[in-house]
Amino acid sequence: MDPFVAQHRSLVTAVPWTGIVTDDDDWDAADPALLTAAYGQLVLIRAFEEYVLAAAADGLVHGPAHSSIGQEGGAVGSVLALTADDTVNGSHRGHHQFLAKALAYAEPKGIDPSADHSDDVRDVVLRTFAEICGLDRGWSHGRGGSMHLKWQQAGAIGTNAIVGGGVPQALGSAWAHRHAGTDAVAVTYFGDGAINIGSTLESFNLAAAWRLPVCFFVENNHYAVSTTVDEATGEHRLSARGPGFGVPSWQVDGMNVLAVHLAMREAVAHMRAGSGPTLIEADTYRYFHQNGPFPGSAFRYRTREEEAQWRARDPIGQLAGHLVRRGLLTSSATEDATTRAAELMAEIGSRVFQPLAGGKPGQREIKPAEWPDPAFVDVGVRGDLAEFADATTEVPGPAKEATFIEAVSGVMARRMATDERIVVLGEDVHRLNGGTNGATRGLKEAYPDRVLGTPISENAFTGLAGGIALDGRYRPVVELMYADFLWVAADQLFNQIAKARHMYGGTTAVPLVLRAKVAMGTGYGSQHSMDPAGIFASAPGWRIVAPSTPADYIGLMNSALRCADPVVVLEHVDLYPTTGEVPDGDWDHCLPVGQAAVRRTGSQVTVLSYLAMTGYVLDAVEQVGDVDAEVIDLRWLDRGSLDWDTIGASVRKTNHVVIAEQGPVGTSYGGWLADEIQRRYFDWLDHPVQRVTGGEASPSISKVLERAAMARTEEVVALLTEIARY
Amino acid sequence: MPHLLRVPEIAANTTEGTLLSWPVAERDAYSRSDVIAVLETSKAVVDIEAETDGVLLKRLVTEGTDVGVGEPIALLAAPGESVDDLAAALRDLGVGTAAPAPPPAAPAPAPAADGHRLFASPIARRLAREAGIPLTDLTGTGPNGRILRRDVQLVLDRPRPPEPAPPPPEPETPAVGYTAVPHSRARRALADRLAESKRTVPHFYLRGTARVDRLVALRRELNESDPPVRISVNDLIVKAVARAHVLVPAMNVIWTPDALRRYETVDVAVAIAAERGLVTPVLRSVESASISTIAGRIRDLVQRAGSGRLRQHELEGGTTTVSNLGMFGTEEFAAIINPPHSSIIAVGAVRDEPYAQDGEVRVGAALTCTVSVDHRAVDGALAAEWMRAFVSTVEHPIQILA
Repeated sequence: MDPFVAQHRSLVTAVPWTGIVTDDDDWDAADPALLTAAYGQLVLIRAFEEYVLAAAADGLVHGPAHSSIGQEGGAVGSVLALTADDTVNGSHRGHHQFLAKALAYAEPKGIDPSADHSDDVRDVVLRTFAEICGLDRGWSHGRGGSMHLKWQQAGAIGTNAIVGGGVPQALGSAWAHRHAGTDAVAVTYFGDGAINIGSTLESFNLAAAWRLPVCFFVENNHYAVSTTVDEATGEHRLSARGPGFGVPSWQVDGMNVLAVHLAMREAVAHMRAGSGPTLIEADTYRYFHQNGPFPGSAFRYRTREEEAQWRARDPIGQLAGHLVRRGLLTSSATEDATTRAAELMAEIGSRVFQPLAGGKPGQREIKPAEWPDPAFVDVGVRGDLAEFADATTEVPGPAKEATFIEAVSGVMARRMATDERIVVLGEDVHRLNGGTNGATRGLKEAYPDRVLGTPISENAFTGLAGGIALDGRYRPVVELMYADFLWVAADQLFNQIAKARHMYGGTTAVPLVLRAKVAMGTGYGSQHSMDPAGIFASAPGWRIVAPSTPADYIGLMNSALRCADPVVVLEHVDLYPTTGEVPDGDWDHCLPVGQAAVRRTGSQVTVLSYLAMTGYVLDAVEQVGDVDAEVIDLRWLDRGSLDWDTIGASVRKTNHVVIAEQGPVGTSYGGWLADEIQRRYFDWLDHPVQRVTGGEASPSISKVLERAAMARTEEVVALLTEIARY
Repeated sequence: MPHLLRVPEIAANTTEGTLLSWPVAERDAYSRSDVIAVLETSKAVVDIEAETDGVLLKRLVTEGTDVGVGEPIALLAAPGESVDDLAAALRDLGVGTAAPAPPPAAPAPAPAADGHRLFASPIARRLAREAGIPLTDLTGTGPNGRILRRDVQLVLDRPRPPEPAPPPPEPETPAVGYTAVPHSRARRALADRLAESKRTVPHFYLRGTARVDRLVALRRELNESDPPVRISVNDLIVKAVARAHVLVPAMNVIWTPDALRRYETVDVAVAIAAERGLVTPVLRSVESASISTIAGRIRDLVQRAGSGRLRQHELEGGTTTVSNLGMFGTEEFAAIINPPHSSIIAVGAVRDEPYAQDGEVRVGAALTCTVSVDHRAVDGALAAEWMRAFVSTVEHPIQILA
């Protein structure tokens, strides 16, 4: 017999979890203008989606066409509760989410289902359809297509092809709304598949912790491709997730546009009141398969009967019934609205398609003039640096001594004092007298609402910073406590932040600074000792700076904070205690993009290095003595910022290149650079490009193994000694 | 499309030659493998064979003209193709006074003398190319003997030899008492090679005399059996040299700057005084060939040397040469080593002479041979051992047939 008599109490969630159901009384109470506007949007979005599927069936849409047919009620019902200042982002199945927000912006009074469409509406539809077809007149000149629809001005801040990838960015938008002192909110749409992925769950937590005005809108269409909700989770009531994170949650019939709208009104009121995030689960259904014009039943993961039951509750049919019942529209008027929408789509089609030359009647092709110019392929991978036009590069004199870490915290303090846009976030940056290394010393006290200690969720807070950067009002500075954590935040760093400018058409600024700490040599082992330069160099979009002196840190950080591109600032812990001369005046000067430093002039061999390795190389050259090496500290490492003038002049002089870095060979930086050098300077070389790197394995905890795994002075000495033999 | 026939590179380091004859008339058709031009180089007379059927539209040089490798010498076309305006066709191909000279053939990627790749860095290759210095003229000091920029620079910085003083003006009146016979290319090459040999190869000489009554008898016996080719004393001597080389393999060598090369087979050159000049074609694997085969091959070489039909490859290789002046009655002589060989055997005439045997003076057939030896490759004692083996073989000629 159980000897314990412990008392048991029923606990309740700290926040409400509410289901909303409407009846005819609610429909009768609804504002007629709301219902007609909803109908005008629903009918147009449905016609749009049907036209996309028809074009896809004709092979005119390159890539997948994820239709939202059946799910339009959730997006339209929720967006009509928002204003133009509110922002939304969405998922790979986002045509309806994007169109609802864009159409509401283009037609603020609502689309009248009894009238012809306005020119503004026609333009939105044309540009959206063109983008989905990959055409130049699309929002992103066809680069983004179906899954990357963005119209910043309308508050449609971008749909996303990575499941859950857009969710953290909505937090950034919400943070910017609140920090700007507005009551605007952000809504992030995602599906039942995305509710189980880390970035989404991390975002629930972070949004609740920071009470951000963001709504997590879950379109539960019951299938992640073909996997059912019941297969994917033990709690199939997806809105139950919210209360677990302290997020008030609503569950509502997504086929009922009014019920969705009422739930959203309550959620918006909660958020505008400053009470933090909300979650709405809309129960809905996509009539077709994941993509393309065939129903899911054709792929045998569900039945025709199930599809017929959902279609019987079609959101447009339901709404039309109430409109007729209330005498707001005649039955024929509802049908006329459908016809008008179909005619608009046919007209849009004729703008971008033409009869296929030599084809059968009805066969179409894309008008050649609609395609983007192939020469546009790499335009806008990074910005044009126009933001540096008025930057000062003059270093104020006289000089004084300072430690590297003083330069780190000092220049950030200076910038935060002069630029209110700067906000710093990361793990423990707000405590410990300036974070784990003192890099943010004094900042929290001076700027309490701009120095944000984060939960340990790199993906969410990095994505949040990406959202702030894309919003444009603020300049986030993210600290990764160890560079290795880039893998934890990899989707946000590489799929989102790096690609955003290019993917959305080449003009979107992404002013984000990432401080990544390289801790090789501190005994933190295999998962805390990475030099991430090689990985960032492989991701176009990122600029990379690698300061090796306190003075360089100041100039490079000022440039990073001015730049309209994401910049990763590498900080090696070996350098933090080192000292050097820094200006005794205000630290406002920029070290221009693409300017390397020749640390030692020489004639026999060019050694290219960066970060802490630069000092080890200089030591090695002195030790060896009889190799007259030219040592170049690269400072700017990415493909778009490298100082080829300095490198080229040196290679032409010495005809011999060594690239020296500390880290393991696998993720090393020098590989791409060696490739580039041999292609640019083949005829100037006397030797193959040689390299100094660490070993194959990541450095271990054991002190001797760690030393053996990385490169320092001795490894450079060995190579220079070999070179001295010839 | 008409195309040019250019002078091929006939052998490594051969940069020029003389167009000897045009076997095909202008506007005549030829078939694949037909000889369409004959070139003489310093080493050989070379037939240029057609790679495909075609028509020779025009000869661009006359017989006897010196031509460089890569130089166009004829305009060719496909069978049946006719070209009305040859001048225009040539101009289109970059040939003609108005057109710029064709670019010099890109230097081959510097093969080393042994045909292997010569290591040179990209910038060294570029500088050497720009300065017109063959990589084979450079010495690499880098890893793996790689030629580096500094190795090219060294040559570029070397003071140029002063231009030779202009020759004294020719007297207006023709010289009396001699006629100037211009050197043939082959003669000049021979002169250079022999002068180089005498200047740089340290020769020493061993003389041996063999009793050859049995050799003479053997030869007579062989010829009485009515062989396809009559056997000469020289044929037997060549075979005896090969046997001596097998018995003393340290003689079957050549000197190179890096190493002494020892050879598996005995390849012996024979000096042939052809009307066109002295040539030394090489017989391969003499040690394993029958005497009648040797005789047949030498006869073939002599005939083709007379008509200038020796192939380039037949003139290369070997470790020694047999030079025989016995047919002129010369008793004995010493010869100059034919580089890169390490020896040459000078063979005199068979003559009757008195000799002492068992305390009595007798008369018998004798033959005196002098071997010139490269002292870098072979020392005196070794050469003496070889001479003993050679004399013994000649004196017991049944061993030649063994």
